[in-house]
Amino acid sequence: MMEKMIFGRYIPGDSFVHKLDPRSKLVFVFLFIAIVFLANNAVTYAVILAFTLVTILLSRIRLYFLINGLKPILFLLIFTFLLHIFFTKEGDLLWKWQFIEVYEEGLRQGIFISIRFLVLVFVTSILTLTTSPISITDGMEVLLNPFKRFKLPVHELALMMSISLRFIPTLMDETDKILKAQMARGSDISTGSIKERIKAVVPLLIPLFVSAFKRAEDLAVAMEVRGYRGGEGRTRYRQLKWDWRDSLVIVTLGILALLLWWLRS
Amino acid sequence: MKNNKLRVMIAVAMLSSISFVLMLFNFPLPALPPFLKVDFSDVPALIAAITMGPVAGILVALFKNVLYWFFSGSPTGVPVGEMANFATSILFMLPVYAIYRKVSNTKGLAIGLLVGILAMAIGMSVLNYAVFLPMYTYFLNMPALTGSALRDTIVLGILPFNLIKGLLLSAIIIVLFKTMKSWLDKQRAQFS
Repeated sequence: MMEKMIFGRYIPGDSFVHKLDPRSKLVFVFLFIAIVFLANNAVTYAVILAFTLVTILLSRIRLYFLINGLKPILFLLIFTFLLHIFFTKEGDLLWKWQFIEVYEEGLRQGIFISIRFLVLVFVTSILTLTTSPISITDGMEVLLNPFKRFKLPVHELALMMSISLRFIPTLMDETDKILKAQMARGSDISTGSIKERIKAVVPLLIPLFVSAFKRAEDLAVAMEVRGYRGGEGRTRYRQLKWDWRDSLVIVTLGILALLLWWLRS
Repeated sequence: MKNNKLRVMIAVAMLSSISFVLMLFNFPLPALPPFLKVDFSDVPALIAAITMGPVAGILVALFKNVLYWFFSGSPTGVPVGEMANFATSILFMLPVYAIYRKVSNTKGLAIGLLVGILAMAIGMSVLNYAVFLPMYTYFLNMPALTGSALRDTIVLGILPFNLIKGLLLSAIIIVLFKTMKSWLDKQRAQFS
């Protein structure tokens, strides 16, 4: 059950997308989110969809993983699609059954929104499927570096983020263990009235908090012993390298933006 | 020679992970729109605020939402839901922290929670009216909610949702604090 919940699982590989620098991938995703909103007619949505499919092919991620990741939000996708179908009443009437009326404009908007939704989810999942969370954090730290001038503690934030990422699997395991330990004692979290469930949640939370603070203490001691003293002048174990692929990706994205700007109505 | 800053940073990171894991166990309430979900991720944020100060609490709320966005993506691309969640956490947490710091007993906690619920419910109604709902509909390209539809969504959706969520959270927090009072006081003494 725990395994299924992690949607942003990193799948190691050596495809074109895997080899990209995390910085270029992050810049790509953030710009892409903005560029998608340029699309507003059939041609532009087709271009965006084709571009995304090429990206998926280049990442060599099996479609199974992408579809699997879509499951939790499938409901939202259908919900917004239906919302458009039923509430946009413009254009020609296409289909009518008793009180249900489907209009051309509603169907069009519904399809467009679903494409946008899918494309955004696919591209952000490709980022998390081909980049380990730790290199995403490294990339973000470098990209946010200019904000140090405004007293933003970039290094500290990145450190907290990477520690937090590092301990998510550990804490999930621990949650699982505590859950089972409580179940063995006869506590039941998934049935009963709301009051009973709340009572069952508390014995789950207490051991989690206590062990989190204990771990923090241990880790702080371990870091001090190894001479940790903040980000100033610190050298890196994981080096980031920007090569021709990264420049190519950013240039391609620029071309896509220009193309959409030219094709949009 | 205790480096407290490092200790606080690491504890914040750990609590953010817990908060994120709790956020994954979210569930919608019956009869309310599906984008309104209850989760208990505000509990670690409040623990952080009470033991290590308001900045630590705000950071936990921030990290849990960044992590959530990393791991689940956002249907609108732009994380509107995560921003709203961040605002909710802060509105709920800060009054509880401020009052509990002055009156550190069950009574102070109860009053703090009450003020927190009200701040969250009223604040989120206003913010949804002015910012989040228009943003949400804009990014999903839905026809914008206006006039009575917008008011209905807030009065029948957002307001009762936040009240119920606040009550559920408060119930857990009161039981939790009763059991953990001495441990929490010890942590507070260590970090201040």
